[in-house]
Amino acid sequence: MAFRWPLKAKTDHGAVLMHVDPRFTRTSAMCDLHVPIRAGTDILFLGAIINHVINSKRWNSDPFFREYVVNYTNAATLVTPDFRDTEDLDGVFSGLAADGTAYSNASWAYQRQPAPGPAPSGVGPFTDLLLQRVPGRPRTDSTLTDPLCVFQLVKKHYGRYTPEMVEKVCGCPKEKFLRVAETLLNNSGRDRTANIVYAVGWTQHTVGVQIIRTAGVLQALLGNIGRPGGGVLALRGHSTIQGSTDISTLYHSLPGYLNMPDARKAHDTLKDFILTEAAPLATSYWGNYPKFAVSYFKAQFGDAATADNDYGYDFHPKITGDHSHLPMMVDMMGGRIKGLFVMGQNPAVGGQNARFQRKALAKLEWMVVRDFFETETAAFWRNSPEIRSGELKTADIRTEVFFLPAAVVAEMEGSFTNTQRLLQQHEKAADPPDDARSDLWFTWHLGRRLKEIYRNSANDRDWALRNLLWNYDPDIAEVARFRIKDEPSAYKVLKEINGYTWEDRKPLPTFANLKEDGSTVCGAWIYTGVIPEEGVNRAASRKGDEWISPNWGFAWPANRHIMYNRASADPAGRPWSEKKKFVWWDQVAGKWVCPSGEGIDFMPTKAPGSSGRDNGIGFDWLGGDDPFIMRPDGKAWLFAPAGLADGPLPTHYEPYESPVANLLYKQQSNPVAKVWKIAGNPYHGVADPNYPIVVSTYRLTEHHCGGQSSRSVAWLAELMPEPFCEISPELAAEKGIRNAEYMTIMTARGQIQARALVTRRMTPFVVNGKTVHEIGLPWHWGWLGYASGDVVNELSALVADPNVTIHEGKVFTCNVRAGRKGGGA
Amino acid sequence: MNPETLAPEWAWYFVAIYFFVGGTAAGAYFIGAMAELFGGAKLHELSRDAFFVALPFLLPTPIFLIADLGRPERFWHLFFSPKEGIPYINLQSPLSVGSWALLLFGLLCLLSFLDNLVADGRLRFAPFARFYNRIPRKTYAALGSVTGVFIAGYTGVLLNVTARPLWAATAPLLGPLFVASGASTGAAAIALLMLWRKRAAGEVFRRLEFFDRLALVTELLLIAAALVLAGRYAVPLVTGFWGFMFWGGTIVAGILVPLGLAWKGRHTEGGGMTTIMLPAVLILFGGALLRIALIQAGQV
Amino acid sequence: MAKGMFVDTTICTGCKACQVACKEWNGLAPEPKHFGQVTGKPYPVAVNFTGNSYDNTGALSATDWRHVRFIEQFDEKRTAGRWLFSSDSCKHCNDAGCLNACPTGAIIRTDLGNVVVQQDVCIGCKYCVPSCPFGVIAFSEKSGTARKCTLCNDRIHNGLGTACAKACPTGSISFGDVTALKKRADARLAQLRGLGMTGANIYGYTEAGGLNVFYLFADKPSVYGQPERPVVPQQRLPVSSAATVLALVGVGVAALASFRERGDREAEEVHHEP
Ligand SMILES: Nc1nc2c(c(=O)[nH]1)N[C@H]1C(S)=C(S)[C@@H](COP(=O)(O)OP(=O)(O)OC[C@H]3O[C@@H](n4cnc5c(=O)[nH]c(N)nc54)[C@H](O)[C@@H]3O)O[C@H]1N2
Ligand SMILES: Nc1nc2c(c(=O)[nH]1)N[C@H]1C(S)=C(S)[C@@H](COP(=O)(O)OP(=O)(O)OC[C@H]3O[C@@H](n4cnc5c(=O)[nH]c(N)nc54)[C@H](O)[C@@H]3O)O[C@H]1N2
Ligand code: SF4
Ligand code: SF4
Ligand code: SF4
Ligand code: SF4
Ligand code: SF4
Ligand SMILES: [Mo]
Repeated sequence: MAFRWPLKAKTDHGAVLMHVDPRFTRTSAMCDLHVPIRAGTDILFLGAIINHVINSKRWNSDPFFREYVVNYTNAATLVTPDFRDTEDLDGVFSGLAADGTAYSNASWAYQRQPAPGPAPSGVGPFTDLLLQRVPGRPRTDSTLTDPLCVFQLVKKHYGRYTPEMVEKVCGCPKEKFLRVAETLLNNSGRDRTANIVYAVGWTQHTVGVQIIRTAGVLQALLGNIGRPGGGVLALRGHSTIQGSTDISTLYHSLPGYLNMPDARKAHDTLKDFILTEAAPLATSYWGNYPKFAVSYFKAQFGDAATADNDYGYDFHPKITGDHSHLPMMVDMMGGRIKGLFVMGQNPAVGGQNARFQRKALAKLEWMVVRDFFETETAAFWRNSPEIRSGELKTADIRTEVFFLPAAVVAEMEGSFTNTQRLLQQHEKAADPPDDARSDLWFTWHLGRRLKEIYRNSANDRDWALRNLLWNYDPDIAEVARFRIKDEPSAYKVLKEINGYTWEDRKPLPTFANLKEDGSTVCGAWIYTGVIPEEGVNRAASRKGDEWISPNWGFAWPANRHIMYNRASADPAGRPWSEKKKFVWWDQVAGKWVCPSGEGIDFMPTKAPGSSGRDNGIGFDWLGGDDPFIMRPDGKAWLFAPAGLADGPLPTHYEPYESPVANLLYKQQSNPVAKVWKIAGNPYHGVADPNYPIVVSTYRLTEHHCGGQSSRSVAWLAELMPEPFCEISPELAAEKGIRNAEYMTIMTARGQIQARALVTRRMTPFVVNGKTVHEIGLPWHWGWLGYASGDVVNELSALVADPNVTIHEGKVFTCNVRAGRKGGGA
Repeated sequence: MNPETLAPEWAWYFVAIYFFVGGTAAGAYFIGAMAELFGGAKLHELSRDAFFVALPFLLPTPIFLIADLGRPERFWHLFFSPKEGIPYINLQSPLSVGSWALLLFGLLCLLSFLDNLVADGRLRFAPFARFYNRIPRKTYAALGSVTGVFIAGYTGVLLNVTARPLWAATAPLLGPLFVASGASTGAAAIALLMLWRKRAAGEVFRRLEFFDRLALVTELLLIAAALVLAGRYAVPLVTGFWGFMFWGGTIVAGILVPLGLAWKGRHTEGGGMTTIMLPAVLILFGGALLRIALIQAGQV
Repeated sequence: MAKGMFVDTTICTGCKACQVACKEWNGLAPEPKHFGQVTGKPYPVAVNFTGNSYDNTGALSATDWRHVRFIEQFDEKRTAGRWLFSSDSCKHCNDAGCLNACPTGAIIRTDLGNVVVQQDVCIGCKYCVPSCPFGVIAFSEKSGTARKCTLCNDRIHNGLGTACAKACPTGSISFGDVTALKKRADARLAQLRGLGMTGANIYGYTEAGGLNVFYLFADKPSVYGQPERPVVPQQRLPVSSAATVLALVGVGVAALASFRERGDREAEEVHHEP
């Protein structure tokens, strides 16, 4: 679906499409250039482009680049002299703990002016705290010559990331690399912008976050951020996966990207919480953190949330560690988790080291699965491979499994938030059949019943449940047309997310109206404005146009489709060029304007060139040339002084499992990657002779993820019936594997059989002179459904990125042989 | 001609056999009619036997034809449009025209058959007998011979105007080929009947044999020509199982051997096993295999 | 005003949405041939892996009215590489072999120019099957009739486009008035030629008397499994018929030569006195 737009750009506007992917895919087929690189080497590839760009004639001669970079990025900012780069320490940065498992980022900090005198207080109880702690402005060198300035550090860091190194490590021909670098460079500047799109080919790595950072650094250097046609775009997964990060289903964040109260941090009181989380960011728009946070807690506990009880902060759950999916399964295996709700997930198939995860499920006391097909997760106890192999016996599994029928999207009302941060409403078309119900119905009624049970409990621990604001009662008008009359009101939920005044329940048109005194409630400040007034839902608006379409749905924040769009004008506020004009400063009106109807992601009346107040916070501190209003210095970060667990600059590390040694540094792989050296999760060594082949897992258009939503549909099953393995004719010949016949793929975690799809779309890579083979496995299959077969994730391992704990499903090592698992053709 | 076309997957035991018996009936009737029209008194026995052969061979054809339909109960749609409620014919479709021709031919066969019975005095049917001499039997003999040849020929045309490589490539020869083959098998069928009725001797019979040989030789020439036209598309016909059936069954057993025997026994007088029975059976056999091989080879 | 479809294979991503949309709208079953019993499964599962690139459905059939082809063109060095996709269906020929061949009038052409098999008229003689130059129309054991793409007859007679075109995310399949579509096709062809795609060609303007569903190909039609020079088979009807008439004359002559004799007509008449 989404791909129609790149294609349109190509056919109608002559855009050049380039695809960097180990395999030649259906996407490659539509692109002008396909560049195969060995899985897991993107940082080197992108780093080499950075190196190529900043040393290129064009970049150094065209004033645009310097003007953008000096003013809008932190290139000029000076870093403390204690900082040591990977070039100095052979692959690690300064600050690595003695045991080598964690960094302290003290030595990555900016050099700063002395802190300003405290500002006049009395603004608000929490804001006042922040005003007392405004740091001095960062020191800069606008000539970019100081060896400690970010630009010089970047230049040094990527000095050895050369086309030759790319050829040697990524196994991609130098010429192809140079074509990519040149095309990007030549299509960036005043009149042109280039855009980088990625999805999980970049994220599912122990360096996932850093790969994307590299793209960010590159785009910032090319002046491609905050401008139409520019940016680094994540193509997100499930239809509202963006929404599920905004209105967070993630363990570590609250809706609107506030952090989760954490028992390990100085979060004892609301004040501590706000100080710890907001102080470092207070000179950005995050200076409003107190208003967001207080309004959030007010939205949880309503009347019970008062200034005296810190708005219920104490009763709000706190995390005690990394509770993301992989650690959760590890804890489950360790018997530390008793019950599990699985709503819209199929980890028995989609989970890394799926066998481990299924066995973990067997340690639960109870599990609730809501789905519209029986998933492998719901069925693990009766016919999983472990049961069939006798490894587990149904009789011994104590887990009580409740399988409940879910409604499909057309059977419920609500909104999707797509990858562009656009909220779009979908109506309920029909009632779900029989007992099937929406997740909203289930969750609300579950909450209602629990509240009923604990209504009279005197225990503090039940306070939150007792006082939980749960006012989403069915709306007669909404349910009138339907059989199911007790469906809660999705509108009421969205209204709470949008925020309203507690006094008279009036929706808030903008997050500028939020207060830190408990007079406003707001579920997620970033969505404020989707319901600007009672009864108006902008997510449901459907007036499109040929350009930005401000009246099609609602793009958070404040209907801004292109974030940091002040950067689409030069420091003086003039459009960079006629061709790329978007937001600019209107001298006469004395404000920023955007005729396309786009929301302006900047202080509406802050003139270009004007400077901020040194002792202010938020918009007061930021200057007229600080487009990146969510960063505490208003600049795009080439160098990240904070916020990352594995270093301020993206660095090439080999995947945790790799057939080759790191050719750039002594440090083989991400030193702080999350690993679980536990029973049932063995790893392969570096260049392990038993597992010399690189394997990558990915999707097919014909199926969806864990597969029940497609494998249970015979029409889709017949399109891609069985698990198959994409393998090059070269490797196939070496292993005696014949097309369409069965082959077996083995890792230390497990082995699976799949049909061989021998194709030249797979390329053997020549790495440092020797051939490295890579195979590809679509991972959609399981033992249920009309298209069934082995679970590819039997092969993968529990290993993850240190920042967000994303697994490394995109690259690990394996071995292959002809024939079925048990032997036989 | 496109190798990507689909085969109808007609069942040979219905369609090919239908082609065969239909062709044989037609051939037999044609001979009878010719004898009736141009032959003198001596040949009346021949025409009688011919008409006796024609009908029985024709009778099963509708069964074969209908049995292969996906919707047998709707066979009447061939003649009558269920939507417009009027008779239907599609002049562009050999199958459509052929069906009508079959109807007509069937009727004429029946008349000739009855005519025979009456003439032989086996059928005592007073009114019929009374008007007997006034029945313009030469006209329906003439008509029947034409429709007969049509029946034998259209099946070939039907194949020639499809997109299947072999059938299309052999255009326009399958029509004539099936006519010739029909003539030979028809003659062979008559010969067998005559043998049974102990009449397989004398001048009359020799004329029949002569005709039969003419047909066989023509058939051989047409097959040769068709193979040339077919070129590489003939491969499925001339190789493998169908090749075996074609060469061994049709060419050798069905054509060459009968001709050979005829040549050998050209002086011997009187009916005999090797000179009459065997060749006749072989000809019929070969005629059937020709249809089967062509239908099947055209569908692989 | 003839309706049709223009299939621009150069912007086909091979997503198969058209194939599924067709089945969904037309209520077509999954192809029975694709499913089979496997050990340890109580119900039949898909067993139709072909190993032929991403094409597992193989061809058009009585239940697959649309089919997406995948053509991999890579040299050993992977220097030149192409993966071509093309979505195929009935061409709704101006002079349709299937329609010409039908002995029952089951196949009709509607006022919008599309060729439709009336399921309640078809007798399942299968003669249309070998009469399609493109191997499209097929016989269904289930219904006992011939079946194929109808150009979404029900949709287009109610002001909707075809289901496949509607589902196509890239606009590779577009539905509309044939004349308008041809303009679009010509423009796109010119654009591609301009970009140096010399191999690009339009298939269906002249082939087999012109097709209401026509294609823009990047390579020779045969590469996409289409006949290079398709002809309407009934073109051979006059000659074949003539040849058969000649044959009639031929056997006539042979018969005369064999059976003709002069004299004693009298005897003949006498013979038949009752
Ligand atoms: N039809 C369909 N659509 C879907 C989904 C589905 O299952 N089916 N899933 C949805 C979801 S949840 C998501 S997250 C998205 C994911 O969308 P994608 O990111 O497109 O998903 P994948 O196919 O897993 O991975 C993309 C590509 O990454 C390549 N790759 C592997 N390793 C590397 C590497 O190291 N570097 C580079 N550059 N490329 C690499 C693989 O070869 C693969 O072609 O798709 C969404 N859309
Ligand atoms: N090896 C490897 N592993 C991977 C990946 C990879 O690329 N390689 N990709 C990873 C990625 S990006 C993702 S997102 C995960 C996805 O993995 P999963 O999320 O486990 O896979 P899905 O099949 O999307 O699970 C969604 C389930 O929710 C059901 N469902 C759909 N709509 C609803 C609804 O409204 N309510 C309820 N209750 N259920 C619903 C569907 O029927 C389906 O069974 O897999 C991850 N696993
Ligand atoms: S599957 Fe994904 S791309 Fe396709 S329509 Fe749905 S959301 Fe869009
Ligand atoms: S493509 Fe074949 S089936 Fe379709 S109309 Fe033409 S001849 Fe008939
Ligand atoms: S199968 Fe049906 S549609 Fe085809 S020719 Fe016979 S009657 Fe006509
Ligand atoms: S036009 Fe309709 S029937 Fe024909 S292929 Fe497309 S969807 Fe199927
Ligand atoms: S839907 Fe469109 S893009 Fe997808 S396969 Fe069909 S024609 Fe190609
Ligand atoms: Mo995902």
